[in-house]
Amino acid sequence: MSTEAPEKTGDEGPSAGGGSGSGGGSRFDLEKETELRFEVEAGERVQLELLSGLAEVYGSELNRNKKYTFGPGSKIAVFTWQGCSVSLSGKTEVAYISKDTPMLLYLNTHAALEQMRRQAERDNERGPRVMVVGPTDVGKSTVCRLLLNYAVRLGRRPTLVELDVGQSSVSVPGTMSALYIERPADVEEGFSVQAPLVFHFGSTTPGTNIKLYNKLTSCLAEVFSQRCEVNRKASVGGCIINTCGWVKGSGYQALVHCASAFQVDVVLVLDQERLYNELKRDLPHFVRVVLLPKSGGVVERSKDCRRETRDDKIREYFYGFRGISFYPHAFDVRFSDVRIYKIGAPSIPDSCLPLGMSQDDTQLKLVPVSPGRDLTHHVLSVSCAEDDTEGGENRSRGILESPVCGFIVVTAVDTQAQVMTVLAPAPRPLPRHTLLIMDIRFIDLK
Amino acid sequence: MDAENVQPALVPIDFSNELLSSSELFQRRSQSHKIPVRGQKDFLPNDSVQQKACLEKILEEHWMLVTEERVERVGNLVNAEWIPEEKLVKLLTPAGKFWQTMGFSDQGKQCLFPEEALYLMECGNLQVFYQDLPLSIQEGYESFLSDETVTYLEYQVFSHLKRLGYVLNRLDARSPSLYKQQLNQPPFSNRSSKHRKRKWSQSPSFRLCNKKSTSSPEVSSGDQKGEIMTSVFLEAPGNLQTKQAFQDETLNSDPESVKAPWRNWWTNTSNEPQPDSLNPSELYWDFSCIFFPDLGSNSANCACLPPPDPSLLPGDLHVPECKLAHWHRNINLKKEHLSKQQQQRDQNRHRCNINDDQEVSQCRNWVEYLELMEKRRNQQQSERLTNFDKHEVMPLAQPRKCSSHRELLEQVSIIQSYDLLVGKPRLSDSDQWGITFNVYQPDIEFKKSYPGKPYTRLCVSSFDGPVPNLHVLKQLSFQSGDVPVTFAVVDHGDISFYCFKEFKLPTDVY
Repeated sequence: MSTEAPEKTGDEGPSAGGGSGSGGGSRFDLEKETELRFEVEAGERVQLELLSGLAEVYGSELNRNKKYTFGPGSKIAVFTWQGCSVSLSGKTEVAYISKDTPMLLYLNTHAALEQMRRQAERDNERGPRVMVVGPTDVGKSTVCRLLLNYAVRLGRRPTLVELDVGQSSVSVPGTMSALYIERPADVEEGFSVQAPLVFHFGSTTPGTNIKLYNKLTSCLAEVFSQRCEVNRKASVGGCIINTCGWVKGSGYQALVHCASAFQVDVVLVLDQERLYNELKRDLPHFVRVVLLPKSGGVVERSKDCRRETRDDKIREYFYGFRGISFYPHAFDVRFSDVRIYKIGAPSIPDSCLPLGMSQDDTQLKLVPVSPGRDLTHHVLSVSCAEDDTEGGENRSRGILESPVCGFIVVTAVDTQAQVMTVLAPAPRPLPRHTLLIMDIRFIDLK
Repeated sequence: MDAENVQPALVPIDFSNELLSSSELFQRRSQSHKIPVRGQKDFLPNDSVQQKACLEKILEEHWMLVTEERVERVGNLVNAEWIPEEKLVKLLTPAGKFWQTMGFSDQGKQCLFPEEALYLMECGNLQVFYQDLPLSIQEGYESFLSDETVTYLEYQVFSHLKRLGYVLNRLDARSPSLYKQQLNQPPFSNRSSKHRKRKWSQSPSFRLCNKKSTSSPEVSSGDQKGEIMTSVFLEAPGNLQTKQAFQDETLNSDPESVKAPWRNWWTNTSNEPQPDSLNPSELYWDFSCIFFPDLGSNSANCACLPPPDPSLLPGDLHVPECKLAHWHRNINLKKEHLSKQQQQRDQNRHRCNINDDQEVSQCRNWVEYLELMEKRRNQQQSERLTNFDKHEVMPLAQPRKCSSHRELLEQVSIIQSYDLLVGKPRLSDSDQWGITFNVYQPDIEFKKSYPGKPYTRLCVSSFDGPVPNLHVLKQLSFQSGDVPVTFAVVDHGDISFYCFKEFKLPTDVY
């Protein structure tokens, strides 16, 4: 059983509660190596049930006779290696069976990676580090999820490194994170997010501060290497790096930088020959660059769709999956208790700079933000940096390179009382008092 | 060049007997004496029939010209004798009008320098005897031109300018006295004995003299352009735009000059072939045994992937072999849209594959590769820093320390301006560079006894040779004083003239 198709991954929409059964849906009989693709209509919910045989969704196996519920806007592919029959109930926008899937290629890719892990295990070496690159909407995250699921099902412990700041599958958008994978992704919820390592980036495109982006990439690589040194399983499992779809100009440079920071062994290029050829030229010869096709099931997401997904991701952080499992707290924070910073000063024209100063310094600068009304609805990261660290340059670097311990959203600002009301996952007080502001806003409506 | 009027010297012929009948003479006279027009050179040989035919035709014309017999009146020829020991030609019969601009008297004898004699021979004004036999022009070239007299290159420049009407005389670089320079008197004059009166009239202008010489087909009247323009680069008519063709010749035919440590007139960048890269089997991951379904590699052998070992797959899957051919067709159907700028940037980047670098291709893993990159970065940096104390790299100017523009400009001026005429050159005279000729403009009344200030001074060099450096420039300008120095660069018979202009960097703004 097993299988799946590459599609948009990780954006299960918010929808209330588990499957409420509406019996007697339509039944699909799948031959072996085919997949059933369906999209859930807006405002609807679809239930999926495996009746017989074996099937998988993005590498996570389905349990027989268990009902899986997918919220509005979900795009799902159920793949079977051996043949199966499933039933769908609820309104689907489309539902069809496709024989034309690159799953076999992806499976072969997995087999090659697994071979490398074996060799690494035998020789006491480090396992494969894989970077998945490609333009937007080619199924990068899905391929990552698939490869991670296969690996973890064989008892490996790979690490997911999420560098896609726009559509993070681990944490809220605007962050870069790493997640140690110990069990296959839940069919509905995706990977269970336990103790991820998250860094604050602050915006949804790397282009707003490419210097910071590269810096955080290096940070993540360093932390991952440290973990590999102490955790043999993590080292053998290697990592799978998901990147953003920005593959031109400095976005491309960021990819090359990432490859060298993580010292990747394999680069999987999805569906773009130009990128493939360029990486072959710009990466040293011992890096294996592989061109893979995208699945026909991949759907292009609109800007709105992406924004909605981001919103859902933030809501999920505070309220839990489908907004029913967590209960966030709202409380007041006095301005005097916290220090709020923004990373990156606005750039100054070169002519205004003192001689010998270079512009680049400003991108990593920590700029204090005076609390005001315009903070409302912004997402703030609570930095892990110790509050009492020395000031000056060290402190600024310390905050930059410190992971995030949580996020809060400013819901209201009272300038007269000098307090702001925040939405936080935990009751007061805040664990740390250094806050980093994001460009991303979240309005808590639902 | 060569065999004009070839008369093998060994065969005893009495030249005075070689008389022509009147009809023959008339026939000769009526022949055209024009030099065929050379036209522009093609940039590259393109192996076309047309080009070949054209070349052949020109070559043929050239040979015709060279082999043509010249007819001169014996009475018009001035006889002279070649004295190899003194490297001089002494006149045996009274000189012609050329005496106005050429030759000098030594102990009562009229003498010509070899280049002058050769030029006059080519013009049909002079017959030089050696051991009582007349020299052919070819022999003249062979015996007159040497390192001790003038070289072939120098003669080419000499005759070229002469034909254009300029007056040239030698600058004796061996004994330039400063005093003379200050007087603008070329050292040449210390050779001629001034006290002697010239016997021949000096009235006819040089132009007439030159016109007479055009009776030889070697010199075409059409070439006579007025003035040498001593601008940045001046070129003789007919030679314009031939340089690129010559660049090519230089590149192809002359690998020696490329290796010269000097900078050449034309620089060549040659790419050395890259050695083979490392054997991939030394790498940790042996990707020849680990099969990735790579659609990018165009090798045909991966059209079909063997089914993977089931133990590598989750759930003990058994899958068939994987056919890649189908996917090759499906990939990348969409063309990417790139802006022009981006395409250009991409192209620039595409030019080099980092794996072509030998050192990179010898790295076996990231650690080695990153070390290499680090090393290179450090190298670059330390190269940049060698001139500074490493801990005291400072901006040239501090914003607050300058009160005026003048001060600021003084602080940031790294390259000191250099006046060619101030201070003595520290270098001793180099053998390679020297001023050969003084050049006077054609239209001035020229007097040998008092030549006045030359229009320019010539330094002759070959196109294959090095470009003069600052020391040479300084030394030559010092030698020349306030007369500008022009570099005549000879490339296979084509002559270009260059001169270096001084200019002042802005030093102050108010």
